Amino acid sequence: MDIGDWIAIGIILFVIITIVGMYNGLVNLRNQVKNAWRQIDVQLKRRHDLIPNLVEVTKDYMEYEQETLEKVIQARNSAVSANGPEQAIAAEGILSGALGKMFALMENYPDLKANENVNNLMEELSSTENKIAFARQFYNDSVMGLNNGVETFPSNIIANLFGFKQGTYFEVAETEKAAPAVNLR
Amino acid sequence: MQSGSKQVECPECGASNRIHSKNCRLCGNLLQQELAKKPRVQQQILRRTDFMAASRANQKYTRYLVTILLLIAAGFGYLAGWTMQVSAGAIPAEANDPLFFVSHWGLIAAAALLAISMIWTLISFKRADRIIMKMTGATLADHSRDAQLHNVVEEMAIAAGVPKPTVYIIETDAMNAFATGMRPERASIGITRGLLNKLNRDELQAVVGHEMGHIVNWDIRYATAISILVGLILLMSDGVLRTGRYGRMGNRGSSRNSNGGGILVIIMIIFAIVAPIIARLVQMAVSRQREFLADASSVRLTRNPQGMISALEKLSHETVKFENANRATQHLFIVNPFRNFSENVSSLMATHPPLNRRIQRLRNLG
Repeated sequence: MDIGDWIAIGIILFVIITIVGMYNGLVNLRNQVKNAWRQIDVQLKRRHDLIPNLVEVTKDYMEYEQETLEKVIQARNSAVSANGPEQAIAAEGILSGALGKMFALMENYPDLKANENVNNLMEELSSTENKIAFARQFYNDSVMGLNNGVETFPSNIIANLFGFKQGTYFEVAETEKAAPAVNLR
Repeated sequence: MQSGSKQVECPECGASNRIHSKNCRLCGNLLQQELAKKPRVQQQILRRTDFMAASRANQKYTRYLVTILLLIAAGFGYLAGWTMQVSAGAIPAEANDPLFFVSHWGLIAAAALLAISMIWTLISFKRADRIIMKMTGATLADHSRDAQLHNVVEEMAIAAGVPKPTVYIIETDAMNAFATGMRPERASIGITRGLLNKLNRDELQAVVGHEMGHIVNWDIRYATAISILVGLILLMSDGVLRTGRYGRMGNRGSSRNSNGGGILVIIMIIFAIVAPIIARLVQMAVSRQREFLADASSVRLTRNPQGMISALEKLSHETVKFENANRATQHLFIVNPFRNFSENVSSLMATHPPLNRRIQRLRNLG
């Protein structure tokens, strides 16, 4: 074999290694998106589990706010029984709104805030809220990574060849986007 | 006295600058607007305002710096092998010149040096975290007592998409934090009690985000590998300077290379004096770059630059000394435990950038 053959072999090897690397990279990105989506589910489930406890503890203190507590429980139940991602996103949006209102009202009850049990539950619940937000953020970052891989040259060739699709971003529901109206009267 | 006409005030922060300087020396704001059209300058502006761009640029700098270090180490190995080959008189027959030829011994020595540093790094990866934990006096954080800290660490782990690191507490009033771990999957974060008591939730989140940044950017691995490389360079230069002092007698016997060998020894000694200084400077520059990167990563995770800014401001007012740190672990902490935090100038030998520069960069990101 002369030197030309070796160069040809080298080029072919290089191309094969590059293709394998890009394919594996895309698979990793896709799995990361799937895993990130499951992480959101885990945190949402945790929120559903915590809410009944908090409502149970606060019920005695917040007797004039029964309506708000009712709404939180209702929103929680409809979020638990939601079918499919679209329904779930809408129901979770309503639940977030109800919870936010409840947290704001709790500020009015100094006894409640002094209760250690309530404080622990509050920390757990607000941490879970944060975790949901961060899990969404990571999901969207992962989707961006996948979409960059699927769209940019040269990995888009591999993506088309093996049928990699773009991910969908977790969009915030319109009700959540609107800032809550504050009435200072 | 300087006349006032030679100074110009920065429109952003009000600091006075020399009239010809391109950027403000305090905030880095562009002073000469006609330069704003150049693509290079536009890139610089983007890097200051976008945390993704900031972290990409930072990783590029680190790669350059590490390449410089590797070149120094390889060059050292080559010089050593070359000198040995010349002094042993084993000059290849096809060489045109008795001194300047492609030295096979040199190539072998360079490769051997890089291989040694790689193997050494791998070995120390297995042991480093436990030793560091012992050295700083950290204990495992209790789940019920420090529930908030556990929650914050878990939140940041979710944001970064890595498993939750082990959480440690150091019982001291000093304010500091650190991270260790050779892989993101098996890392630890340590926070001092003083820091935990004085920061609010947002600030604590920012500090934990900074440490998480070190973990996901593989900074601990970087630091270990670099310090081993620098250690090897120091060791070699020490050896060369010693043999340069005592080994001259042995060389006098061979007459064939007495002239050429002398030049080589001088090159070698100059290299042995300069290389460790450069290596040290590069090591510290990498460390400072990684601190900026971790700050930017913290903002990427929390999406809240204000938390990091106010945490750093609280840290800059810190007065209690942290007594469990030493020179070997100083680069791990969020602020250097030995330095005066309020200093303004960026010292070439500092492991961390000055706090006000870090805050300034974060302001630019926000």
